[in-house]
Amino acid sequence: MVKFLLQRILAFLARVVGAGVIVLLLLELSYCVFGGSDQHIWQAESYEGEASVIAYDATGWRGLVSERVVSSAKVWLIAYGGVLLVGYSWGILAARLRRVKLGALLALPFSLFACVPGFWFVVAVAIYSYFAWQCPGFADEVVVQSGPDLMSWWYASIVALPVLAPAAAWQLRAVSSVIEKEAGRPFVKGLYTAGHRDDTIFYGNVYRQARPAVLGLLDQALPFILGGLVVVEWAFRYDGLGSLFVDCVKGGYYTGILMCSLVVAVVIGLVTFGRELLVKLTSVE
Amino acid sequence: MANRRSSKTLGVGLEILAKIWRLRLVLLLVIPYLVLSGWLFTASRHADVRPGEVFMVPDHPLWEKPSEEHRFGTTGTGADLYELSRIAMANSVAVAVVSSGAGVALTLLVVMLFAFDVGENRFRLLKVTSRAGFLLPSFMVIVILAGGAGGSLVLAMIAMTLAIALALAPVTARWFEEGEEGPDILAGYALGLTRQEIVRSRIVPVVIRRLLGVFARMIPVLVMAEMSLSFLGFTGEHISVGVMVAYGRDLIIEAPWMALYPGMMATIVVAVLSLLGALAAGVLRTGRYPRFL
Repeated sequence: MVKFLLQRILAFLARVVGAGVIVLLLLELSYCVFGGSDQHIWQAESYEGEASVIAYDATGWRGLVSERVVSSAKVWLIAYGGVLLVGYSWGILAARLRRVKLGALLALPFSLFACVPGFWFVVAVAIYSYFAWQCPGFADEVVVQSGPDLMSWWYASIVALPVLAPAAAWQLRAVSSVIEKEAGRPFVKGLYTAGHRDDTIFYGNVYRQARPAVLGLLDQALPFILGGLVVVEWAFRYDGLGSLFVDCVKGGYYTGILMCSLVVAVVIGLVTFGRELLVKLTSVE
Repeated sequence: MANRRSSKTLGVGLEILAKIWRLRLVLLLVIPYLVLSGWLFTASRHADVRPGEVFMVPDHPLWEKPSEEHRFGTTGTGADLYELSRIAMANSVAVAVVSSGAGVALTLLVVMLFAFDVGENRFRLLKVTSRAGFLLPSFMVIVILAGGAGGSLVLAMIAMTLAIALALAPVTARWFEEGEEGPDILAGYALGLTRQEIVRSRIVPVVIRRLLGVFARMIPVLVMAEMSLSFLGFTGEHISVGVMVAYGRDLIIEAPWMALYPGMMATIVVAVLSLLGALAAGVLRTGRYPRFL
């Protein structure tokens, strides 16, 4: 187990370093090769630019990124938590009721909502809240002076929803299809022939056998969620890591781009590490 | 006594008919694709569609609310939003089709470089490379590439193509590996066929069929990606629903229809493309692959 842990930690570090190198190469390629900039990645002064456009304050880049991570954490929690909750519970239910093809029906509302462009959805919400509720629509327009900051959770939910829907639809179908694949194996037919009950076969055998593969899907939707939030946060003027990333790309701030990308890479890497650990602990010998 | 030898022409004709019958569902799906494309691409292209000029707000704006004459209303310069939305959607679909086709072709090309090698670990390099990039969301990579160069549609398309190839290459490699496990392949080896013959005649056609399904499924995804990039201003001076919503976002009090209606049209078009993509993938038995964009 210790060997496995050390291996995985090493793999995690290697992946994060790899992600950092890829971002640096992308910066050089896009800004210098295609964009004609003379700020090369190996020059120290390329990283010294002050992000005045994005309200850079005395705390510096580290403070700014930490502040945005805290703000985005609410969105990540709602989006990723919702995807896991819906994807796993409904996915298992869809597999359990596979004979009536429930999976497609359960995924339908999410699949339909996935057709709505996220950036347009948040703008539509802003328009609606302005005309229907007479309150400013975008996230940067209301500051709660006293009492519980429920508005920030409301805004986080609005931002999370457009990425939650497609990711949940995908997760639901993925979980369901992994279990259904297991349910199609010959030993299941044998158990039915032997006269075992349907729910005993499903939970006692099929689900148990499929559990490592089902847990293996834990981190699959996360890159999509974090990538999708980049545009939705910026569209809703939500002060999160995604909008900071877009502002940094627009302003050409290498430090900001690198830090945002690395934070995202670390978050995905940690979840992947957790998934690998969980699969190892629960795998059937 | 009648000649019992079957006519060669008749045989060929029957074979063609049988092939058409096997492809009947695919051919049926082509019809709605053609209808949708026809509707999008026949929009009037005489109008000036440079976003900076169409969406500028003059001192005395000429905008009109949605009416009988202008279903989606008009812009500040008086341009019809319905026609502009159609042109914008046609642009997005064209970009998506080209990027999806290029991405799928690049994926196949890259995987084929390793497919004829001998040994179980022949796709290892491909999988390791893809895993290294897994920590970075594809959309962030595309934003850096397209945005860093100051916003260029060509670069955005190249970035989307590369993102598809990077994400799909390990999946396609797995399809090759699965393809070699079937009993028909083992029978082929037993009958003395070479590996090259088996890969070329039995595995590649199946992989291409599945990739065609991926191509269809990727179109609505790439339409969304293109609209998102243009909303962020990373696709240069070309009209797209993203650009229209971005301009409309600053006018939600004065002219809310400018942001609302193009987005509604985009939703409907994406929904139709998604449905057709799902049907095509079902008919072509594409199977599951990770959601990366």
